[in-house]
Amino acid sequence: MNQHRTIAPSFTPRSAPARRTFGLDLARPSRRHWLGYLLLAPAVLLIALIIIYPLFVSVDMSFQNVGLVRLGAPRRPFTTINYERLITSPEFWMACWVTFKLIVVVTIACFVLGVGTGLLVNNKFRGRAIARLFVALPWAVPEIVAVVIFAWIFDSSFGLMNWFFIKLGLVNTTINWFSDPTAAFAAVAVTMVWKGYPFVSIMTLAGLQSIPEDFYNAARVDGANAWQRFINITLPCLMPVLGVTMVLTILWVFRDFSIIYVLTGGGPLRATQTLSIMTYEQAFSFFKMGYASAVGVVTLILCVIASRLMVGRSAESIY
Amino acid sequence: MAFNGMKRWAVGAVAATALMAGSGLGFMSQAFAADKVLKFVSWQKDERGVGDWWASIIKEFEAKHPGVKIEWTKVERGAFADTMTTLFAGGTPPDIVHLASFEFQKFADNGWLADLDPFIKKSKLDLNNWAGQEKCKWDGETVCIMMLYYGGIMAYNEDMLKKAGVSVPKNWDEFIEVVRKTTKDTNGDGIMDQFGTGHETKGGGGQYLAEMISYLLDAKASFTDAKGNVTIDTPQMVEGLRRWKTVVKENLTPRDLSAGEVRQLFADGRIAIRIDGPWLYPIIEKAKPEVRPNLKLAAPPFNPPLGGTSNVLGIASEVSPENQQLAWDFIAIATSDQFQSTFATLASSTPPSPRADVTEAKKTTPHFDLLIETQKAAAKAGVDRIPVGLEIQFNEFAKMIKEESERMIIEDLDPAQVAKTMQAKAEAMK
Repeated sequence: MNQHRTIAPSFTPRSAPARRTFGLDLARPSRRHWLGYLLLAPAVLLIALIIIYPLFVSVDMSFQNVGLVRLGAPRRPFTTINYERLITSPEFWMACWVTFKLIVVVTIACFVLGVGTGLLVNNKFRGRAIARLFVALPWAVPEIVAVVIFAWIFDSSFGLMNWFFIKLGLVNTTINWFSDPTAAFAAVAVTMVWKGYPFVSIMTLAGLQSIPEDFYNAARVDGANAWQRFINITLPCLMPVLGVTMVLTILWVFRDFSIIYVLTGGGPLRATQTLSIMTYEQAFSFFKMGYASAVGVVTLILCVIASRLMVGRSAESIY
Repeated sequence: MAFNGMKRWAVGAVAATALMAGSGLGFMSQAFAADKVLKFVSWQKDERGVGDWWASIIKEFEAKHPGVKIEWTKVERGAFADTMTTLFAGGTPPDIVHLASFEFQKFADNGWLADLDPFIKKSKLDLNNWAGQEKCKWDGETVCIMMLYYGGIMAYNEDMLKKAGVSVPKNWDEFIEVVRKTTKDTNGDGIMDQFGTGHETKGGGGQYLAEMISYLLDAKASFTDAKGNVTIDTPQMVEGLRRWKTVVKENLTPRDLSAGEVRQLFADGRIAIRIDGPWLYPIIEKAKPEVRPNLKLAAPPFNPPLGGTSNVLGIASEVSPENQQLAWDFIAIATSDQFQSTFATLASSTPPSPRADVTEAKKTTPHFDLLIETQKAAAKAGVDRIPVGLEIQFNEFAKMIKEESERMIIEDLDPAQVAKTMQAKAEAMK
């Protein structure tokens, strides 16, 4: 008893001042979540530094009439001239139209190919492992390497594509792939589809493997044929995965820069100039940082709207 | 247990020491050895000839300035403008500023390049008759030193010309006849695989403009006059555009290739004539053994010949006065008679200095007289692809010229109509 009496008073006075010193008792149940915030803080600060701060600078710059800028330089007067110029610029609307066309064409083609190949390699057959490898291969090839390969395939004078078309008798003369607006758009779209469809394929495959086999067995008992099983079981069960995949694919097409820049630079006659290419050109070729920031901000808003619409829609239409 | 623990500790200590010796200590020793580091960013670091010349200047500078090191970084030409803009915008510009002659104006206009006049005066550097130096004046101040003003050369494949039964062209009419006769489908697969000439028709506006300018100059056309007034809508420009359209529309040049690819095709024996700057020669030298003897050089068939400013050196205005002085010392070495002479030998190019001794270069580069001749002819005619009065808007202007020229070719437009459109758009840019 005596021992207890002597130990207890000596323990309490030592620990109490320590708590008061830090002012934060993370052991208390009501404050345990604070530890989570503390652990997250470095990551949040880093993200704020490398994403939110530049975003803020970009938005701020879009409301200034600036060319080349220097960090820390005095702020120019507030103006909406960049947005006014943007709205009245045919070049901007052309870039919006090209971006939209590219999104529609590339996303649809990626989904048709991706879902098709995903379904194919989900079946059991000899050489399935190799087939899966080939389906995923374009995804693994670095983008810049893929673009250089396609640049040579579509080369107007010495490319494989022209040789192939002439040998097949599809054309009489060579196609100037990067000097003709329609051909250039097609070349860019094909390259993007080749690079982008494996992602859809991999996501589809992952989604297919999570569908319980019982669903198909029950459908077979009810006499459903393959097409009915696909429409009524596979597709609805894949919808959550496909919805997210579609958003990611659209955002990828929106953002992609290197494929277009290396293949066509946005030409000819701006036929492949998307909003990302326009932003880059205005900033680093024409040194119009304010105007480029305005294009960037509009692109960001469009991306947010598109992803919000897609995520909302796919979430509602699942089960 | 204790022994194992000690062993682990010892191994860890050795590893840490090795790491420190490899990286940390290495860095520290460098920092102690060099009290000061000057930053120099260039796209020419790995270029054969000219890269060696820059290396020799750095060596000389470091020998003359013990304790000062030059940190020489290579940035690809394609990403150079972006990188330099970012460095300046972030407040960390290189001390020695290397820029292309068509891009320094934006930096100077922004006040990012120091006035070199006090340094020039103090060091008594004579820039009279320095080729292209007048282009380095900005708002009455000398903001850079011209490092190359070149004259164009015509390289041709003698064997191709012989087989086509034509001789080396001396004017536009002969040139177009030669390129038409040498453009062929040699293996009969329905695809042209040999071209009369070669031009970059892909890529940036600046290079596109450089490719077409020979035809415009020969037709006596210019984008602006000496006062900076736009002079595109003229019969001379219409004729120049018609010539460019003929060459591209008739597929007398391979399409959609970069200038580098075109040069390589010439070296591979697939192009009969290539009009280019002095940098074509090192590529010719590396041609296949069976092609190399056929590749010859001559004066371009156009008058005035292709030519113009290439690149400049300057000093960042916001670095410390001490660093500015050191950067000037670097420029002083590069512009000295001795190093202007070695520029001719190492880079096989015409140095801008009139005092450079090119005797050695004439021995090592057989066509050096031709380079001097075309450089002088181009300089005399004031040839430059950067139009007076449109220096700041050059990239935008070049893009516009490229687009309208492409439209002329794709939509088969009348060059007269295209010249009118270009005139209106160029005037709107000013």
